[in-house]
Amino acid sequence: MAKSLFEKAIDWGRRKSPWIIHFNAGACNGCDIEVVDAITPRFDVERFGLMLKGTPRHADVLVCTGAVTLQTRDRLKRIYEQMPDPKFVIAVGTCACSGGIFDGCYCVAGGIDAVIPVNVYVPGCAARPEAIIDAVVKLLTALENMQKGTPAAPVDDNVADVSALEEIENAVTEASAAAVHSDNQPADSATTGSQGGEE
Amino acid sequence: MSELIAEKKALSTILEKFPFLEGKIDVQRRQRIISSPMERPLFEEVFSFVVTDGGFNCFHLVIGVDDGENLGFIYVLSNQDKVMLLLKQSAPKSNPAIKSVCATFPNALWHERELVDLFGTIVEELPEGPTYPLPDGWPAGNYPLRKEWKVEYFDKINMTYNPPATVGKEEE
Amino acid sequence: MAKNVVIPIGPQHPSLKEPACFTITLEGEKVVNAVVGTGYNHRGLEKACEARSYLQDIYIIERVCGICSHIHSTTFCQSVEELAGVEIPRRAAYIRTLMAELERLHSHLLWLGIAGHEVGFDTLLMYSWRDRELVLDILAMLGGNRVNYGINTLGGVRRDVTPEQIEKIRKVVDIVEERNKYYVQLALSETTLAARLGGIGKLSHDDAIKFGAVGPVSRAAEVADDIRVTDPYSAYDEVPVTAITDNHADVFGRTVVRVLEIMESVKMIRFCLDNLPDGDIAVKVPRKIPEGEAFVRTEAPRGEDAHYVRSNGTDKPDRVRVRAASEANWHGMKHMLEGDYLADVPIIIAAIDPCYSCTDRAIVLDNHDTGKQSVIDWRTLREYSINWYKARGIDTGKIKIADSHLIF
Repeated sequence: MAKSLFEKAIDWGRRKSPWIIHFNAGACNGCDIEVVDAITPRFDVERFGLMLKGTPRHADVLVCTGAVTLQTRDRLKRIYEQMPDPKFVIAVGTCACSGGIFDGCYCVAGGIDAVIPVNVYVPGCAARPEAIIDAVVKLLTALENMQKGTPAAPVDDNVADVSALEEIENAVTEASAAAVHSDNQPADSATTGSQGGEE
Repeated sequence: MSELIAEKKALSTILEKFPFLEGKIDVQRRQRIISSPMERPLFEEVFSFVVTDGGFNCFHLVIGVDDGENLGFIYVLSNQDKVMLLLKQSAPKSNPAIKSVCATFPNALWHERELVDLFGTIVEELPEGPTYPLPDGWPAGNYPLRKEWKVEYFDKINMTYNPPATVGKEEE
Repeated sequence: MAKNVVIPIGPQHPSLKEPACFTITLEGEKVVNAVVGTGYNHRGLEKACEARSYLQDIYIIERVCGICSHIHSTTFCQSVEELAGVEIPRRAAYIRTLMAELERLHSHLLWLGIAGHEVGFDTLLMYSWRDRELVLDILAMLGGNRVNYGINTLGGVRRDVTPEQIEKIRKVVDIVEERNKYYVQLALSETTLAARLGGIGKLSHDDAIKFGAVGPVSRAAEVADDIRVTDPYSAYDEVPVTAITDNHADVFGRTVVRVLEIMESVKMIRFCLDNLPDGDIAVKVPRKIPEGEAFVRTEAPRGEDAHYVRSNGTDKPDRVRVRAASEANWHGMKHMLEGDYLADVPIIIAAIDPCYSCTDRAIVLDNHDTGKQSVIDWRTLREYSINWYKARGIDTGKIKIADSHLIF
C-alpha cells in the first residue's frame, strides 16, 4: 500500500506545480484575456504553483476556451494527444462548456467535450478569473484526495462532476502503474460515481 | 442636408461621365454614396473610372449578399474627403463570375477569398493561395451564406450536407 | 546554395489570442516570405445573425471579439437605428461614448502589457495589467460584467450611470492617468525599449493606405484617419477628439500612438462625466425594421470597425457583415514582416494587436534548386549546426548530449 519515496515526490510535484497550457479553440477572446488575467498581479494564480507554458509537451493541464470550430477540432485533438499523462482539461467559459451562444453555427462543433474529455467546467461569459482560480483549486483538491486514496467528497457539482474525478483517478492510477510497473493503487474501491457521459 | 458638398461633388463627377446612371446612384446620407446593382461590363467600367479619375483610391471591403436570383457584391471605397462609395455589382447565381480587384487593391484578397468560400463566387484572376475562412475538408459545392443553404441539413461530424430528399446536392 | 528554412508556427502558440498559423520563410535569420493562415476562429456568425432577431443579434455581435465587444455592439445598434430612423437620446450617446473610451483604456493597457511580454519585458505586462484591473472594475460596475458588458440595446443603453458611479470613475481615471504618465515616459524615453521597437515592422505612409491599414497602425504612419474625427458617431460630435499621429511608421510609433491615446481617452472620459446630459437612456425601437441597408463605421481600439446591415422588413436581418479592425490590418502583415529578423516577428505581429510567439518542433527545409521540401529532425539540425560552427572554426561537437534528450 505504501508509496515509495519516488512516487510520493511525483505526486507532490504534480499537486504543487501543475503546468498549464492555454488554447483558444474558437473563443471571442473574452475568456482568453480572463485566463491571462488570472496570472497577473490582482489574481496571481501562480501562488498555487501554476505556470503558463508554451507547449503541450510540457503541460499537465489544458485550459481550453471557446466553442470548438471545425478547423480547430483536429488541432485540439492533436494538442491533447501531445500532452503527457496524466492530463487534465479545464473548459473555461460557457462556449467551452456547451458551445454557448455559438452552438448551432455551421462552423462550430460544440463544446470542448465534443472533442476531448473535460475534467472541470467553468461556466460564465466570460468566466471571471475568480471562477478560473476556483476551478484550479478544485482540480488540485480532487487530485490530492485521489493521491491520498480518500473518496472525493468536497467537490461542487457545478464545477467539477463525479465523472471528472473518475478520469483523474484512472489517469493517476495508470500513470503510477506505468511509473513503477506495479498496481498497488487502491483506486477501484473508492469509486461510487456515475460512469462517464456527462450532460 | 444642406452641407453635403463633398458628397455631391463626388457624385457629379461620376454622373458627368455616366449620365445614364442618374437615379441609380445617389447620396444616401452624410458621407455615403450608394448605387444600385450593375451588371458586370458596366460595373467594371464604372469601377475603374471612380478609382482612377473619381478619386476613390482607398478600398475598404467587399460585401457579398444573396439577392435570390443574383448574388450581389458591394465594393466599399472612399476618397480624400472620407466619402464612402458603396458600388454594387450583381451576377447571376448560375454563373457568378466577377473579376478580382486585387491587382489594384492588395487588401481585397481576403475579402474575395471569402466570397469564393461563402458564396461560391468565381473570382477571376484571384492570386493563388489558401482558402479562407472555411475549414479544411469542407465539402465542395456548399456555400453557407447562400440563402438556400440551411445549417440544419449540415452534418458537422462528417462534414456533409444532406438536404431532405427532394432536391439533391450530392455530398463530396 | 541558398537554403531557405520554412518555419510553420501555430495554430497553437503560447501567446494570448486567437489561433493563427504563420508560415515564415527565412534566409539566415531574415524573413523573406510570410504567409498568414487564419480561419481557425470562423464560427459562422453572419449566418447565425440572419436566423435571429435584431435584439438577439446584439449579443452575438458583442461576442465577435471579447476585447472590443462594446464597439461591435455599438456599431451594430447604430446600423439598426439608422435603418429604423431612430435617434438615440443624448444621455445614451454619452454613456456609449464613455464605455467606448473606457474600453479603449483597457484595450490599450492590455496591448501594452502584451507588447512588453513579446519583447521580454514582463514587468511591463504585470504593471499594465494591474492597472487594467481598475478599468475592468469600472466596466463591471457600469455594465455588470468584466468583459462583455452588454450595455447597448437598440435605441440606447440598458443601464444608467449614477452620481456615485461617476465619483468612482473619476477616482480610477485619476489613478490610471497618473500611472500612464510613467508609461508615456517609458515609451518616449526608455532607450532599450526604443532600440528594441524602433525600425521594425515598417509600414510607410503610402503602404498604409495601399494595404488599407487602420487605427494605430495607420496613425503611426501619419495617416490622420480616426473615425471619431472624420465621421463622428455617438457623442463624438461634441466630445473633443484629437487624432494622435506619429511619423515613425514602425512598432515604436504604434506604441507611442497607443500610450498617448490612453491620455486622450482619459480626457474624453472626464469630458463625458462633466457634460453628461440629463434625460432618458433609451427610446423604443420597433421590432420589425423597415427595409433598407446601412453601412456604419466606428473607431474601435484597433481601428476602423465597419458593419453592414441589410433589412427586409421583418424582425430578422437579411444580411450582416462585420469587418473588424484586425482584419484590415492583416493585409499589410506580410509586407511588415519581410526583411525583418525572426526574433522581431512576435512583436511585429503583436503590434497590430493580435499576437503570437512560438516555434514549432519540425523545421521544413525548402531547397531553392529543386523546389522540394523535406522535414528534418532535431538530431540532423544539431549536426548541421555543429558543422556550421566547425566550418567557422568553433567546435561545439565536443558537448555531448544524452540521446534520450534528443527524442521528442
